[in-house]
Amino acid sequence: MSDAMVDERVTDEIEALKAILLDNELNIKENDRGEPECIETILFPSTGEDSQSQYVCVTLIVRLPSGYPDISPVINLRNPRGLDEDTVKLMQSDAEAKCKDFIGQPVMFELIELIREHLTRSNLPTDQCAVCLYGFREGDEFTKTECYHYFHSHCLAAHVAAAERYYREEQEKLPQWQQDTTNKFQAICPVCRESINCDVESLWSAPPPIDVEAATDFSVTAELRELQKQMAALYLRQQQRGGIIDLEAEGVKMLVRTEDDPAATTEEVSPPGTSLTAYSNTTSVQSVTQVHSKQSTHQTQNNHNSQYQPRQMQHNHGHNNHNHGHRHRGRGRAHYRRHFDRVRQAESTPR
Amino acid sequence: MAALPRRIIKETQRLMQEPVPGISAVPDDTNARYFHVIVTGPEDSPFEGGLFKLELFLPEDYPMSAPKVRFITKIYHPNIDRLGRICLDILKDKWSPALQIRTVLLSIQALLSAPNPDDPLANDVAELWKVNESEAIRNAKEWTRRYAMDN
Repeated sequence: MSDAMVDERVTDEIEALKAILLDNELNIKENDRGEPECIETILFPSTGEDSQSQYVCVTLIVRLPSGYPDISPVINLRNPRGLDEDTVKLMQSDAEAKCKDFIGQPVMFELIELIREHLTRSNLPTDQCAVCLYGFREGDEFTKTECYHYFHSHCLAAHVAAAERYYREEQEKLPQWQQDTTNKFQAICPVCRESINCDVESLWSAPPPIDVEAATDFSVTAELRELQKQMAALYLRQQQRGGIIDLEAEGVKMLVRTEDDPAATTEEVSPPGTSLTAYSNTTSVQSVTQVHSKQSTHQTQNNHNSQYQPRQMQHNHGHNNHNHGHRHRGRGRAHYRRHFDRVRQAESTPR
Repeated sequence: MAALPRRIIKETQRLMQEPVPGISAVPDDTNARYFHVIVTGPEDSPFEGGLFKLELFLPEDYPMSAPKVRFITKIYHPNIDRLGRICLDILKDKWSPALQIRTVLLSIQALLSAPNPDDPLANDVAELWKVNESEAIRNAKEWTRRYAMDN
């Protein structure tokens, strides 16, 4: 162990950091002897005073071993936002190389500068939209949440509208005295569940993501067929040993079919044990027509939006956004619930 | 095959190209929203060595609402009932469109490693799990051996 006195090079470095970084950007943890052991700072791209156009950020955590700066510190990059894995890995390895070069000298400023350069270079979200799983292209409208997550505006609108609908439906199911009296829906970020504020109406006006529109269709490959075969064989083997849950024996024939289900009357060829297939037979047709009509309206509305246009979050003007044009979906949901209600009824009969 | 949302296509392609160890999910021939799934029992769990068949269906408004998932192979677990239905928050109110087929199946596999008898779906199983854990684990192993092993 080194002597209890903190190395002068380290105290100087920390004084300088405190002078340059804002209090809320810098967090220095000390051990019980009062020696600094961990420096944490959130870093943004260098965009001058314009914080609106910072689309990426990362938290740099530097652990100072006793003996620093004669021993390299340990670098950690946490909570990367708008950055893909490769970029983060590159930043990490560059930072570690920098530490090796600077053994014997304070390295914090060099590290901060290095990470900032990386952030400035990749100051556009490079990862994919977590909702549609496609990237951001020139011409796409996207939204940066307060928690620095990125979504195509169109995708985020779909999420918030669906979440609000779910919230209302759940509220209606509760008895009056259990209902949330404020009846106030709070949208959350799909990735980190932080509360977010957004104006669904204006998000909906964005066109669907370009990559989504251009993606190719999927076809069943030979490899897939082979897997399907293996699965079917396993099913049969398990069935022979009585290992398959027998829904009929459990008295829940109704899991699959309901009288008001038009698919129930036609004899579908269904794979073994497919109690869930009946849902799709009725719903897939709806989804196709719905997608088409939505896309065409968005395209006509948004032909002028050809710029790469990030859309900053706006504060919500109240919560009376109407989910127009979603009656189809609503009906679909109610339909699933009907299926599950039936299961529940069957389930509640004594065993 | 009717037009599928691109996201489902992308997920299916990724499941094939970068399969998750211990999990396979294959879309059905006639219905690309219906997946045949096998989850292997996690190591050091009473389900180790088991191959569990599940069915997974992506509803009309997926990914805005959660996939419907059910065990097809019998399994002795406090959070999975006789019908194979699974008690897991991300399949209900904690669903987020940032979750995917692969993350859902990984969560289910994790549930096999960490049964939670305090939030039960199969009440008799959960009860035994609480009052006599070693017997419950013996049962789970026995069910795995009897129903889910493939030899």
